[in-house]
Amino acid sequence: MKTTLSLISITLFSFCATRCGNNKQEENTTPIEVTDTIHQQKDTVVIEEDDETSYKLPSALQIAYVSKKSGAPFNESILNKTENLSRYNTSNYKRAVNFGVYSSDLANCLFNKKYQESKRYLKALTETGATLGLKQAFESDKLAERFDKNISNEDTLVQIVSNVQLKTDNLFEQNKQKHITVIAFTGAWIESIYIANQAYELQKNKKIHSSICEQLTFTKTLIKALEATKLKEPEMPELLNAISEINNAFNNIPSVKSATENDRELNFDKMKFTDTDMIPTMELVKTLRTKMIN
Amino acid sequence: MKKYINLTCALIVFISTTSFQNGDILCDSKTLKEKAKSALGPYKYDSSELTRIIYKKTETVKEIEIPLFIGEKYRFIFNLEAIPKNIEVQIYNKDKDSKNRKLLFSSKDGGLDRKELQWEVSKVRQVYINYIIPPTEDGSYSGCAVFMIGYK
Repeated sequence: MKTTLSLISITLFSFCATRCGNNKQEENTTPIEVTDTIHQQKDTVVIEEDDETSYKLPSALQIAYVSKKSGAPFNESILNKTENLSRYNTSNYKRAVNFGVYSSDLANCLFNKKYQESKRYLKALTETGATLGLKQAFESDKLAERFDKNISNEDTLVQIVSNVQLKTDNLFEQNKQKHITVIAFTGAWIESIYIANQAYELQKNKKIHSSICEQLTFTKTLIKALEATKLKEPEMPELLNAISEINNAFNNIPSVKSATENDRELNFDKMKFTDTDMIPTMELVKTLRTKMIN
Repeated sequence: MKKYINLTCALIVFISTTSFQNGDILCDSKTLKEKAKSALGPYKYDSSELTRIIYKKTETVKEIEIPLFIGEKYRFIFNLEAIPKNIEVQIYNKDKDSKNRKLLFSSKDGGLDRKELQWEVSKVRQVYINYIIPPTEDGSYSGCAVFMIGYK
């Protein structure tokens, strides 16, 4: 009888251990419970139901891809230095926002075929990612080795970085860190606009200008995403405020204002801008970027 | 000994059936997303999302707002393998509270029982995915839907 009980206990324990517990072993499998409360009840696994509305913002890779297509030249000196990395392990916000900034810098190096620089930024991302619980995404599949092997093949490198992106998306999802993805996006987006604007100031290229404006239209969704998660980190209300100011400045540009008020499609290639129109918006972008990376 | 093994097996079957009754489905996010990624074809991976679907007594709608670059081409992939009861996927140009929104895509057109959906779009600045979750009376169900965006 004692043997029977032991056997049953071991079996039940094993069953529970594999079915109910150990997130590390089953990190990609989420058991769904029929209820949508957020409380942990005795003997049941209860999960949080997603919000009724969610927001999906683009990756740093896609933003850099679009920016590159506009003809923006590469200038390594304006990227955030990888030496600054040691400054950022002070808060979740600082880690996340600079994870985004470095993602954008890496993507810029990649699409401009600056492979040695890409390698340096990938290393910086790996280190920042580790502090955000993303170690697994960067360590799996011999990432560094594969990167080295394909160092001069843009398509393969972009593919490798896209795979890392998918893995980090999965980990953020599993770790319920939606707000971290929003902060990281904000960092990547600000960095990308900053880089594009530096190029525009040098070249006054209309296509680069249109690409900056296209990126600025994302503020509407970004503000909603920040609103939905603003209580998750103490720095988020201030970030939301800064993005709202950028949004207001952009929407106050006469041609943008007129198109919006008259419900006309925003066609930045055809709209008229004076040289000074973008200055208030870009000053706010520069100020926020400086604050993020220091 | 055989008796003990039988007893143990019976116990496991009992626990399995009571733990995951009413049509609950395990969401293996990694596998579902890998399948979706293989359907992206020549499009580069941009982002993805797993949405938990919980069926209630009344119809519910889950919305995902997605800003896009107007000059880019996109492919959307939906994997609905982990959905126990068919849902409808709709894509609009405006959010669910807007009056004059235009339906750009509906999974109804090709049959609601499809487990993988594909939709391509360009020259659009914003889209809104709506998951229309039908009501259920026969107990509670839950599952999950995965969508992925690729660009080129």
